[in-house]
Amino acid sequence: MYDVIIIGAGVTGLAAGMYAGRLNLKTLVLGATSGTEQPIGGVITLTETVENYPGFIKLSGSELAENLQKHAEDYKDKVTVEEGKAITVERHDERGCFVVKTDEKQYDAKSIIFATGTKWRKLPMKGAKEFESRGVHYCALCDGPLYKDKVVVVVGGSDTAAKEALFLAEYAKKVYIIYRGEQIRPEPINAKRISENKKIIVVTKTNIVEIMGDKLVNKIQLDNKHEGKDVLEVDAIFGAIGSTPLSELAKSLGVKTNEKGEIPINHKDSTTNVKGIFAAGDVTDKDFKQAITGVAEGVVAAYSAYAYVNENEFVCTFYDKEYAESKESVTK
Amino acid sequence: MTNVKVYTTPTCSSCKKTKEFLNENNVKFEEVNVAKDQNAVQEMLQKSGQMGVPVTDIDGQIIIGFDKLKLKKLLNIGG
Repeated sequence: MYDVIIIGAGVTGLAAGMYAGRLNLKTLVLGATSGTEQPIGGVITLTETVENYPGFIKLSGSELAENLQKHAEDYKDKVTVEEGKAITVERHDERGCFVVKTDEKQYDAKSIIFATGTKWRKLPMKGAKEFESRGVHYCALCDGPLYKDKVVVVVGGSDTAAKEALFLAEYAKKVYIIYRGEQIRPEPINAKRISENKKIIVVTKTNIVEIMGDKLVNKIQLDNKHEGKDVLEVDAIFGAIGSTPLSELAKSLGVKTNEKGEIPINHKDSTTNVKGIFAAGDVTDKDFKQAITGVAEGVVAAYSAYAYVNENEFVCTFYDKEYAESKESVTK
Repeated sequence: MTNVKVYTTPTCSSCKKTKEFLNENNVKFEEVNVAKDQNAVQEMLQKSGQMGVPVTDIDGQIIIGFDKLKLKKLLNIGG
Protein backbone atom coordinates (compact mmCIF):
# COMPACT_ATOMS: atom_id res chain seq x y z
CA MET A 1 0.00 0.00 0.00
CA TYR A 2 1.48 3.34 -1.05
CA ASP A 3 0.64 6.52 0.81
CA VAL A 4 0.61 8.32 -2.52
CA ILE A 5 0.85 7.36 -6.16
CA ILE A 6 1.91 10.16 -8.47
CA ILE A 7 0.72 9.55 -11.99
CA GLY A 8 3.19 11.30 -14.25
CA ALA A 9 6.98 11.41 -13.98
CA GLY A 10 7.76 14.69 -15.63
CA VAL A 11 9.39 17.48 -13.63
CA THR A 12 6.19 18.00 -11.64
CA GLY A 13 5.70 14.34 -10.72
CA LEU A 14 9.37 13.86 -9.87
CA ALA A 15 9.43 16.96 -7.65
CA ALA A 16 6.24 15.82 -5.91
CA GLY A 17 7.84 12.39 -5.47
CA MET A 18 10.95 13.85 -3.89
CA TYR A 19 8.97 15.90 -1.42
CA ALA A 20 6.58 13.10 -0.59
CA GLY A 21 9.57 10.88 0.22
CA ARG A 22 11.00 13.61 2.34
CA LEU A 23 7.72 13.75 4.24
CA ASN A 24 8.10 10.02 4.90
CA LEU A 25 5.31 8.96 2.54
CA LYS A 26 5.67 5.62 0.79
CA THR A 27 5.56 6.96 -2.76
CA LEU A 28 5.30 5.62 -6.28
CA VAL A 29 5.93 7.88 -9.26
CA LEU A 30 4.65 6.30 -12.46
CA GLY A 31 5.77 7.68 -15.81
CA ALA A 32 4.63 6.98 -19.37
CA THR A 33 5.12 8.65 -22.72
CA SER A 34 2.42 9.93 -25.02
CA GLY A 35 4.76 9.93 -28.01
CA THR A 36 8.11 11.63 -28.27
CA GLU A 37 9.01 12.57 -24.71
CA GLN A 38 10.77 10.29 -22.23
CA PRO A 39 8.44 8.41 -19.83
CA ILE A 40 10.64 9.44 -16.91
CA GLY A 41 11.43 13.09 -17.39
CA GLY A 42 8.43 14.11 -19.48
CA VAL A 43 8.19 16.89 -22.04
CA ILE A 44 11.11 18.86 -20.62
CA THR A 45 13.30 16.19 -22.21
CA LEU A 46 12.27 17.64 -25.58
CA THR A 47 13.77 21.02 -24.73
CA GLU A 48 17.43 21.39 -25.55
CA THR A 49 18.13 24.44 -23.44
CA VAL A 50 16.34 25.50 -20.27
CA GLU A 51 17.29 28.98 -19.15
CA ASN A 52 14.33 29.87 -16.98
CA TYR A 53 14.56 27.35 -14.14
CA PRO A 54 15.70 29.45 -11.16
CA GLY A 55 19.09 28.45 -9.83
CA PHE A 56 20.35 27.15 -13.16
CA ILE A 57 21.49 29.71 -15.71
CA LYS A 58 21.44 27.16 -18.50
CA LEU A 59 20.99 23.41 -18.64
CA SER A 60 19.40 20.87 -20.94
CA GLY A 61 15.87 19.63 -20.33
CA SER A 62 17.20 16.10 -19.92
CA GLU A 63 19.70 17.24 -17.30
CA LEU A 64 16.99 18.99 -15.32
CA ALA A 65 14.80 15.89 -15.43
CA GLU A 66 17.72 13.65 -14.42
CA ASN A 67 18.52 15.92 -11.46
CA LEU A 68 14.93 15.74 -10.27
CA GLN A 69 14.80 11.98 -10.74
CA LYS A 70 18.04 11.51 -8.79
CA HIS A 71 16.75 13.70 -6.00
CA ALA A 72 13.49 11.74 -5.77
CA GLU A 73 15.33 8.43 -5.80
CA ASP A 74 17.69 9.67 -3.09
CA TYR A 75 14.82 8.84 -0.73
CA LYS A 76 15.27 5.25 -1.80
CA ASP A 77 13.50 3.71 1.18
CA LYS A 78 10.39 5.70 0.44
CA VAL A 79 10.27 6.61 -3.24
CA THR A 80 10.02 4.35 -6.28
CA VAL A 81 10.14 5.90 -9.75
CA GLU A 82 8.92 3.49 -12.38
CA GLU A 83 7.90 3.35 -15.99
CA GLY A 84 4.29 2.37 -16.34
CA LYS A 85 1.18 3.67 -18.05
CA ALA A 86 -1.77 3.91 -15.66
CA ILE A 87 -4.71 2.50 -17.59
CA THR A 88 -7.36 2.62 -14.91
CA VAL A 89 -7.64 4.21 -11.49
CA GLU A 90 -10.55 3.14 -9.29
CA ARG A 91 -11.87 3.90 -5.88
CA HIS A 92 -14.49 1.99 -4.03
CA ASP A 93 -15.97 4.59 -1.71
CA GLU A 94 -15.20 7.92 -0.05
CA ARG A 95 -13.09 6.31 2.65
CA GLY A 96 -11.62 3.76 0.31
CA CYS A 97 -8.24 3.58 -1.26
CA PHE A 98 -7.28 3.78 -4.87
CA VAL A 99 -6.26 0.96 -7.18
CA VAL A 100 -4.05 1.92 -10.08
CA LYS A 101 -3.65 -0.64 -12.86
CA THR A 102 -1.13 -0.64 -15.67
CA ASP A 103 -1.08 -3.40 -18.27
CA GLU A 104 1.40 -5.34 -16.15
CA LYS A 105 0.85 -4.43 -12.52
CA GLN A 106 -1.59 -3.21 -9.90
CA TYR A 107 -0.82 -0.77 -7.12
CA ASP A 108 -2.82 0.42 -4.11
CA ALA A 109 -2.63 3.87 -2.61
CA LYS A 110 -4.28 6.11 -0.04
CA SER A 111 -4.02 9.21 -2.23
CA ILE A 112 -3.31 10.19 -5.83
CA ILE A 113 -1.53 13.11 -7.41
CA PHE A 114 -2.23 13.66 -11.11
CA ALA A 115 0.85 15.15 -12.74
CA THR A 116 -0.04 13.80 -16.14
CA GLY A 117 0.80 16.93 -18.07
CA THR A 118 -0.24 17.41 -21.66
CA LYS A 119 0.44 15.93 -25.03
CA TRP A 120 1.41 17.84 -28.12
CA ARG A 121 -1.42 18.65 -30.44
CA LYS A 122 -0.95 17.12 -33.88
CA LEU A 123 -1.09 19.28 -36.99
CA PRO A 124 -4.59 19.18 -38.47
CA MET A 125 -4.07 20.03 -42.12
CA LYS A 126 -4.26 17.66 -45.06
CA GLY A 127 -1.10 15.59 -45.38
CA ALA A 128 0.03 16.03 -41.78
CA LYS A 129 -0.80 12.46 -40.78
CA GLU A 130 0.30 10.92 -44.07
CA PHE A 131 3.72 12.51 -43.84
CA GLU A 132 4.33 11.98 -40.14
CA SER A 133 8.03 11.12 -39.71
CA ARG A 134 8.48 11.64 -43.43
CA GLY A 135 8.92 15.35 -43.12
CA VAL A 136 6.31 16.14 -40.46
CA HIS A 137 7.81 16.07 -36.99
CA TYR A 138 7.01 17.12 -33.44
CA CYS A 139 10.44 17.10 -31.86
CA ALA A 140 12.98 19.55 -33.26
CA LEU A 141 15.53 18.34 -30.76
CA CYS A 142 15.27 14.77 -32.00
CA ASP A 143 14.85 15.21 -35.74
CA GLY A 144 15.93 18.78 -36.51
CA PRO A 145 19.60 17.89 -37.08
CA LEU A 146 18.55 15.65 -39.99
CA TYR A 147 17.69 18.75 -41.98
CA LYS A 148 21.10 20.32 -42.29
CA ASP A 149 21.12 23.00 -45.00
CA LYS A 150 17.45 22.36 -45.77
CA VAL A 151 14.35 24.53 -45.60
CA VAL A 152 12.09 23.83 -42.64
CA VAL A 153 8.93 25.23 -41.12
CA VAL A 154 7.74 25.62 -37.55
CA VAL A 155 3.99 25.93 -37.19
CA GLY A 156 2.97 27.93 -34.13
CA GLY A 157 3.37 31.27 -32.42
CA SER A 158 4.30 30.47 -28.84
CA ASP A 159 7.61 30.73 -27.06
CA THR A 160 7.98 26.98 -27.64
CA ALA A 161 7.60 27.51 -31.39
CA ALA A 162 10.19 30.27 -31.23
CA LYS A 163 12.67 28.07 -29.35
CA GLU A 164 12.14 25.24 -31.83
CA ALA A 165 12.87 27.66 -34.69
CA LEU A 166 16.03 28.93 -33.00
CA PHE A 167 17.26 25.38 -32.53
CA LEU A 168 16.45 24.40 -36.11
CA ALA A 169 18.27 27.47 -37.42
CA GLU A 170 21.51 25.97 -36.13
CA TYR A 171 21.17 23.31 -38.81
CA ALA A 172 18.76 24.44 -41.52
CA LYS A 173 19.40 26.86 -44.34
CA LYS A 174 16.08 28.63 -43.74
CA VAL A 175 13.39 28.39 -41.08
CA TYR A 176 9.89 29.72 -41.61
CA ILE A 177 7.73 30.30 -38.55
CA ILE A 178 4.18 30.11 -39.85
CA TYR A 179 1.53 31.36 -37.46
CA ARG A 180 -2.20 31.97 -37.94
CA GLY A 181 -2.33 34.94 -35.52
CA GLU A 182 -1.33 38.56 -35.88
CA GLN A 183 1.95 38.29 -34.01
CA ILE A 184 4.07 35.54 -32.57
CA ARG A 185 4.49 35.82 -28.79
CA PRO A 186 7.84 34.51 -27.63
CA GLU A 187 9.52 35.65 -24.42
CA PRO A 188 11.35 38.95 -25.04
CA ILE A 189 14.77 37.30 -25.10
CA ASN A 190 13.68 34.82 -27.78
CA ALA A 191 11.89 37.54 -29.75
CA LYS A 192 15.20 39.40 -29.90
CA ARG A 193 17.09 36.27 -30.97
CA ILE A 194 14.59 35.61 -33.73
CA SER A 195 14.73 39.15 -35.06
CA GLU A 196 18.54 38.94 -35.17
CA ASN A 197 18.63 35.56 -36.90
CA LYS A 198 18.77 36.02 -40.67
CA LYS A 199 17.78 32.41 -41.31
CA ILE A 200 14.40 32.77 -39.60
CA ILE A 201 11.44 34.23 -41.49
CA VAL A 202 8.23 34.90 -39.58
CA VAL A 203 5.02 34.57 -41.58
CA THR A 204 1.87 35.60 -39.71
CA LYS A 205 -1.87 35.55 -40.43
CA THR A 206 -1.24 32.44 -42.48
CA ASN A 207 -2.12 28.77 -42.28
CA ILE A 208 -0.76 25.75 -44.07
CA VAL A 209 -3.70 24.11 -45.80
CA GLU A 210 -1.90 21.14 -47.26
CA ILE A 211 1.39 19.31 -46.88
CA MET A 212 2.55 17.62 -50.05
CA GLY A 213 5.35 15.42 -51.23
CA ASP A 214 6.40 12.13 -52.65
CA LYS A 215 8.37 9.79 -50.39
CA LEU A 216 9.09 12.81 -48.26
CA VAL A 217 7.54 16.24 -47.83
CA ASN A 218 8.59 18.69 -50.52
CA LYS A 219 6.08 21.53 -50.41
CA ILE A 220 3.25 23.21 -48.55
CA GLN A 221 0.19 25.12 -49.70
CA LEU A 222 -0.60 28.29 -47.78
CA ASP A 223 -3.90 30.13 -47.47
CA ASN A 224 -2.16 33.48 -47.96
CA LYS A 225 0.62 34.50 -50.30
CA HIS A 226 4.07 35.00 -48.92
CA GLU A 227 6.27 37.13 -51.16
CA GLY A 228 3.89 36.48 -54.02
CA LYS A 229 3.76 32.71 -53.59
CA ASP A 230 1.24 30.47 -51.87
CA VAL A 231 3.21 27.27 -52.42
CA LEU A 232 6.53 27.00 -50.62
CA GLU A 233 9.14 24.36 -51.27
CA VAL A 234 10.15 22.98 -47.92
CA ASP A 235 11.78 19.82 -46.58
CA ALA A 236 10.17 19.52 -43.16
CA ILE A 237 7.46 20.88 -40.91
CA PHE A 238 7.71 20.90 -37.14
CA GLY A 239 4.44 21.24 -35.25
CA ALA A 240 4.40 23.48 -32.16
CA ILE A 241 0.70 24.34 -31.90
CA GLY A 242 0.12 23.76 -28.23
CA SER A 243 -1.02 20.77 -26.27
CA THR A 244 -3.98 18.94 -24.81
CA PRO A 245 -4.19 18.20 -21.05
CA LEU A 246 -4.09 14.50 -20.20
CA SER A 247 -7.02 14.44 -17.80
CA GLU A 248 -9.10 11.45 -18.87
CA LEU A 249 -8.00 9.22 -16.01
CA ALA A 250 -8.74 11.94 -13.49
CA LYS A 251 -12.17 12.48 -15.04
CA SER A 252 -12.94 8.79 -14.62
CA LEU A 253 -12.69 9.34 -10.86
CA GLY A 254 -15.09 12.25 -10.89
CA VAL A 255 -12.43 14.96 -11.00
CA LYS A 256 -13.88 18.06 -12.66
CA THR A 257 -12.20 19.47 -15.72
CA ASN A 258 -12.79 22.80 -17.46
CA GLU A 259 -13.68 23.50 -21.10
CA LYS A 260 -10.03 23.07 -22.10
CA GLY A 261 -9.79 19.68 -20.38
CA GLU A 262 -7.57 21.10 -17.61
CA ILE A 263 -8.06 20.09 -13.98
CA PRO A 264 -9.04 23.15 -11.91
CA ILE A 265 -7.24 23.05 -8.59
CA ASN A 266 -7.24 25.14 -5.47
CA HIS A 267 -3.96 26.91 -6.09
CA LYS A 268 -3.34 27.18 -2.33
CA ASP A 269 -3.07 23.44 -1.80
CA SER A 270 -3.30 21.66 -5.18
CA THR A 271 -6.57 19.95 -4.17
CA THR A 272 -9.21 18.97 -6.71
CA ASN A 273 -12.93 18.58 -6.15
CA VAL A 274 -12.37 14.96 -5.03
CA LYS A 275 -11.03 14.21 -1.56
CA GLY A 276 -7.71 12.42 -1.67
CA ILE A 277 -6.96 13.44 -5.25
CA PHE A 278 -4.53 16.27 -5.99
CA ALA A 279 -3.21 17.66 -9.23
CA ALA A 280 -0.21 19.68 -10.29
CA GLY A 281 1.64 20.92 -13.33
CA ASP A 282 0.58 21.40 -16.94
CA VAL A 283 -2.60 19.33 -16.53
CA THR A 284 -4.03 22.00 -14.19
CA ASP A 285 -5.79 25.27 -14.98
CA LYS A 286 -3.08 27.82 -14.35
CA ASP A 287 -2.17 30.29 -17.13
CA PHE A 288 1.55 30.35 -16.77
CA LYS A 289 2.85 26.85 -17.36
CA GLN A 290 6.54 26.36 -16.89
CA ALA A 291 8.74 23.69 -15.32
CA ILE A 292 9.26 25.75 -12.19
CA THR A 293 5.56 26.50 -11.63
CA GLY A 294 4.72 22.81 -12.11
CA VAL A 295 7.44 21.80 -9.67
CA ALA A 296 6.11 24.24 -7.08
CA GLU A 297 2.58 22.88 -7.45
CA GLY A 298 3.89 19.32 -7.27
CA VAL A 299 5.60 20.00 -3.96
CA VAL A 300 2.43 21.63 -2.60
CA ALA A 301 0.44 18.59 -3.75
CA ALA A 302 2.87 16.30 -1.94
CA TYR A 303 2.40 18.30 1.24
CA SER A 304 -1.38 18.18 0.88
CA ALA A 305 -1.24 14.42 0.31
CA TYR A 306 0.86 14.11 3.46
CA ALA A 307 -1.70 16.11 5.47
CA TYR A 308 -4.54 14.06 4.00
CA VAL A 309 -2.90 10.69 4.67
CA ASN A 310 -2.11 11.64 8.25
CA GLU A 311 -5.51 13.07 9.04
CA ASN A 312 -7.64 10.26 7.74
CA GLU A 313 -8.35 6.71 8.80
CA PHE A 314 -8.15 4.41 5.84
CA VAL A 315 -10.46 1.48 5.62
CA CYS A 316 -9.99 -0.08 2.26
CA THR A 317 -12.93 -1.97 0.88
CA PHE A 318 -10.81 -4.36 -1.08
CA TYR A 319 -8.32 -6.87 0.20
CA ASP A 320 -5.39 -5.10 1.78
CA LYS A 321 -2.71 -7.79 1.92
CA GLU A 322 -0.28 -5.77 4.05
CA TYR A 323 -2.95 -4.89 6.58
CA ALA A 324 -4.16 -8.50 6.78
CA GLU A 325 -0.59 -9.79 7.20
CA SER A 326 0.17 -7.25 9.88
CA LYS A 327 -2.98 -8.25 11.77
CA GLU A 328 -2.02 -11.93 11.41
CA SER A 329 1.44 -11.36 12.80
CA VAL A 330 0.00 -9.48 15.78
CA THR A 331 -2.46 -12.22 16.66
CA LYS A 332 0.10 -15.05 16.28
CA MET B 1 27.73 -12.23 -34.32
CA THR B 2 24.85 -9.77 -34.34
CA ASN B 3 25.41 -6.56 -36.27
CA VAL B 4 23.82 -3.61 -34.58
CA LYS B 5 23.78 -0.12 -36.07
CA VAL B 6 22.07 2.85 -34.43
CA TYR B 7 21.26 6.01 -36.38
CA THR B 8 21.19 8.97 -34.02
CA THR B 9 21.36 12.72 -33.68
CA PRO B 10 23.36 14.26 -30.82
CA THR B 11 20.40 16.02 -29.21
CA CYS B 12 17.82 13.24 -29.24
CA SER B 13 17.04 11.82 -25.80
CA SER B 14 15.54 8.58 -27.15
CA CYS B 15 18.81 8.02 -29.00
CA LYS B 16 20.65 8.41 -25.70
CA LYS B 17 18.31 5.91 -24.03
CA THR B 18 18.87 3.39 -26.82
CA LYS B 19 22.64 3.65 -26.49
CA GLU B 20 22.46 3.42 -22.70
CA PHE B 21 20.33 0.30 -22.99
CA LEU B 22 22.73 -1.35 -25.43
CA ASN B 23 25.74 -0.48 -23.27
CA GLU B 24 24.05 -1.74 -20.10
CA ASN B 25 23.45 -5.06 -21.87
CA ASN B 26 26.97 -5.25 -23.30
CA VAL B 27 25.75 -5.12 -26.89
CA LYS B 28 28.40 -3.85 -29.30
CA PHE B 29 26.98 -1.39 -31.82
CA GLU B 30 28.01 1.11 -34.44
CA GLU B 31 26.62 4.58 -33.96
CA VAL B 32 25.91 6.68 -37.04
CA ASN B 33 25.43 10.38 -36.42
CA VAL B 34 22.99 11.35 -39.16
CA ALA B 35 23.36 15.03 -38.30
CA LYS B 36 26.83 14.91 -39.79
CA ASP B 37 26.37 12.50 -42.66
CA GLN B 38 23.82 13.09 -45.42
CA ASN B 39 24.57 9.70 -46.99
CA ALA B 40 23.66 8.09 -43.71
CA VAL B 41 20.35 9.98 -43.71
CA GLN B 42 19.52 8.38 -47.05
CA GLU B 43 20.59 4.98 -45.78
CA MET B 44 18.39 5.37 -42.71
CA LEU B 45 15.48 6.54 -44.86
CA GLN B 46 15.87 3.55 -47.14
CA LYS B 47 15.95 1.10 -44.25
CA SER B 48 13.17 2.58 -42.15
CA GLY B 49 11.04 4.48 -44.67
CA GLN B 50 11.01 7.54 -42.44
CA MET B 51 13.06 10.38 -40.99
CA GLY B 52 12.69 9.98 -37.23
CA VAL B 53 15.54 8.95 -34.95
CA PRO B 54 16.68 6.71 -33.40
CA VAL B 55 16.61 3.90 -35.91
CA THR B 56 18.24 0.66 -34.81
CA ASP B 57 19.24 -1.96 -37.37
CA ILE B 58 19.75 -5.39 -35.83
CA ASP B 59 20.93 -7.69 -38.60
CA GLY B 60 18.53 -6.03 -40.99
CA GLN B 61 15.60 -5.86 -38.61
CA ILE B 62 14.57 -2.29 -37.96
CA ILE B 63 13.34 -0.62 -34.80
CA ILE B 64 12.11 2.96 -34.95
CA GLY B 65 12.33 4.93 -31.71
CA PHE B 66 13.45 3.63 -28.34
CA ASP B 67 11.48 0.41 -27.96
CA LYS B 68 12.87 -1.56 -25.04
CA LEU B 69 10.64 -4.59 -25.55
CA LYS B 70 11.52 -4.94 -29.21
CA LEU B 71 15.21 -4.44 -28.51
CA LYS B 72 15.11 -7.16 -25.85
CA LYS B 73 13.31 -9.53 -28.20
CA LEU B 74 15.59 -9.02 -31.18
CA LEU B 75 18.74 -9.16 -29.08
CA ASN B 76 17.56 -12.13 -27.01
CA ILE B 77 17.87 -10.24 -23.76
CA GLY B 78 15.85 -11.81 -20.96
CA GLY B 79 13.99 -10.19 -18.07
